[in-house]
Amino acid sequence: MRILIVEDEPKVASFIRRALEEESYAVDVCSDGIQGRDLASEVDYDLIILDLMLPGLPGIDALKAIRDAKVATPILILTARSKVDQRVKGLDAGADDYLTKPFAIEELLARTRALLRRASGDSTGLLQVDDLILNPTNHEVTRGGQRIDLTSKEYALLEYMMRNSGRVLTRPMIAEHVWDLDFDTFTNVIDVYISYLRNKIDRGYDRGLIHTVRGSGYTLKLTDA
Amino acid sequence: MPSPRANTSIRVRLTIWYGGGLALIMLLFATALYVVMARALEDQVDRSLEEAAVAASRSLEEHRFGPFLLLDDLAQAFPELALIDKFFQIFGPQGQVTLQSANIKTRNIPLSQTALQSSLQGQAVFETVRFHDEIPIRLLSYPVRHGQALVNILRVGTSLQPEKEMLARLVFVLLIGSPLAVVVSVLGGWFLAGRALRPVDDITLTAQRIAGGDLTQRIETTSKDEIGRLANTFNNMIGRLEASIRQIRQFSADASHELRTPLTITKGETELALRKPRSAEVYREALESNLEEIDRMSRIVEELMFLSRTDLGEVHVASDPVQLDTLVQEIHMQAMVLGKEQRISTTLGQVEPLRVSGDEWRLRELILNLVDNAVKYSLPRGTVELELTQYRGMARVTIRDHGIGMTPEEQRLIFDRFYRTDAARAHAQKGTGLGLSICKWIAEAHHGTIEVVSTFGQGSCFTITLPLLPAAAAS
Ligand SMILES: Nc1ncnc2c1ncn2[C@@H]1O[C@H](COP(=O)(O)OP(=O)(O)OP(=O)(O)O)[C@@H](O)[C@H]1O
Ligand SMILES: [Mg+2]
Repeated sequence: MRILIVEDEPKVASFIRRALEEESYAVDVCSDGIQGRDLASEVDYDLIILDLMLPGLPGIDALKAIRDAKVATPILILTARSKVDQRVKGLDAGADDYLTKPFAIEELLARTRALLRRASGDSTGLLQVDDLILNPTNHEVTRGGQRIDLTSKEYALLEYMMRNSGRVLTRPMIAEHVWDLDFDTFTNVIDVYISYLRNKIDRGYDRGLIHTVRGSGYTLKLTDA
Repeated sequence: MPSPRANTSIRVRLTIWYGGGLALIMLLFATALYVVMARALEDQVDRSLEEAAVAASRSLEEHRFGPFLLLDDLAQAFPELALIDKFFQIFGPQGQVTLQSANIKTRNIPLSQTALQSSLQGQAVFETVRFHDEIPIRLLSYPVRHGQALVNILRVGTSLQPEKEMLARLVFVLLIGSPLAVVVSVLGGWFLAGRALRPVDDITLTAQRIAGGDLTQRIETTSKDEIGRLANTFNNMIGRLEASIRQIRQFSADASHELRTPLTITKGETELALRKPRSAEVYREALESNLEEIDRMSRIVEELMFLSRTDLGEVHVASDPVQLDTLVQEIHMQAMVLGKEQRISTTLGQVEPLRVSGDEWRLRELILNLVDNAVKYSLPRGTVELELTQYRGMARVTIRDHGIGMTPEEQRLIFDRFYRTDAARAHAQKGTGLGLSICKWIAEAHHGTIEVVSTFGQGSCFTITLPLLPAAAAS
């Protein structure tokens, strides 16, 4: 899951980024409204965290511009003011949720999970394909009741594939949602991670869940065959 | 328990005092008038009796009718004696009536013992007699003597009815008039007291609204009287109060707003560090970051407190002679240290020996703040020029840099609290945006000015102008 942070105070952006990365999200940071607005429509983010006090373009205007560009990505706004009208304005302009500074890190993470869950259309919070279960809250992955230990990147890749189970995911799509802007698309890192995942998830099971779609990419689903 | 007086309004008390006082005065006046009037009337009666008696006795002597006087003749000779309001009696020396005027009719008015005795001694006597409940009569017994011997006693009398009536009328007028006057005056007093006190009620109402929290309220007043002065004093007081409260509100708003970012950072860094066990290095970084933010918060609070105190006029600057050139040279040394990391060198231009009057500590803060800005907003390896010259009888400190500069709109705003240009934020992370607000206050507190000339992307030049210490005071 890839998240964009638009926040001009670098130290605030920094700790939010580290917290999200610790939760295996791919994170990009930008510090002004114009750049944030442009990035939001160029990259298919899964969530945007937007500060309302921004140089260049005020957060509210950036928010409106993003929605005007028909970007439906969930947006969480950060406001320095606890004033109600600021929050109301933000929500009316198309934000999905808000947090007032200073906020608790765990709350930010919980709201992030909730927004991602809502976007992928499930409400239980658990992601499940066949007997493979992923819990985004504590990052626990089990198959047939058996715990599977994953690295952070493997987890991120699996979460993305499970949220989009049944769909064919191309390499650029995977790169966009699991890796951040620093990712070099010309390497075979994705294929390497897919093979790691296969090793941990499908090995020793009759039914394989990760499938290669020749010429396009990968998909995660339960096949009857 | 409050005294009952405390509960009665001033208007009531004023009116009661006024009415009571007036009633008392009216009473005294009426009494005095009555007494004086009564005395005057009595005197008048007595004098007319006396005149009549004198005239009658003279005619007695002239006609020498002896003891037997014919009243008709007398009446003819002295028409005034025939007036109906007086009657005459002539007594013999033993007190027996010998003659009396017709208007006495049947009444028997004997000569009293005292009158007889006095007459024997040659003295006239006035008496007032009253028969049953009839109108009192005033009598004058007047001895008529021939040589040493008492020949006759002449008595003139008159009814006191006109006088009694007059006094009764007077009493009537006073009894009706005085209370009426008192009532009218009390009503007038009540009205006037109300009018005079209405501004006080206005003040009370306004004060109540102000107590309710609306400090923008003022008492409307145009008069220059006592109440007007009270209202003006009151308005001034509220004005000061409003200003102070606005300051305090502004302070808390600014403080809470500006403290939010460092608080967010310290909270975030700390919570993140505590999420799971980490290496010593990570903890160290978190603590360092927190320390930085704590320093920032203390600076904000300190500088904001200072500015808040200047707003309330609580900060006083000393007025000692300050040798500006030494100050500038010392700051130059500090500037070299400030710019070391970024290799920004500060050069010292012309430095004239100049003295100003002021607070050395604050003036140092003023110049150092500007030099700090110049270094902070310079590009690496840039130069800052510092100069002290005399210009038009003023001391002029110039701080010039070749750094990021500002647009004209930005130059207008930099002296505002917390204002930082976007370029400055991007260039130097640290900064509260309060430095120049403090500089401006210090310059103005020294009767000086601070000006800026800048070009965006090219650099800025700040100029401080301070009045020189007069030569006499300098020596
Ligand atoms: N020499 C300069 N060159 C360019 N911009 C400047 C210069 N001096 C001041 N400014 C602008 O004016 C703003 C206000 O300056 P001020 O000194 O009040 O605050 P600061 O330097 O940001 O913070 P601090 O309170 O720590 O000094 C700065 O943020 C910057 O945008
Ligand atoms: Mg400064």
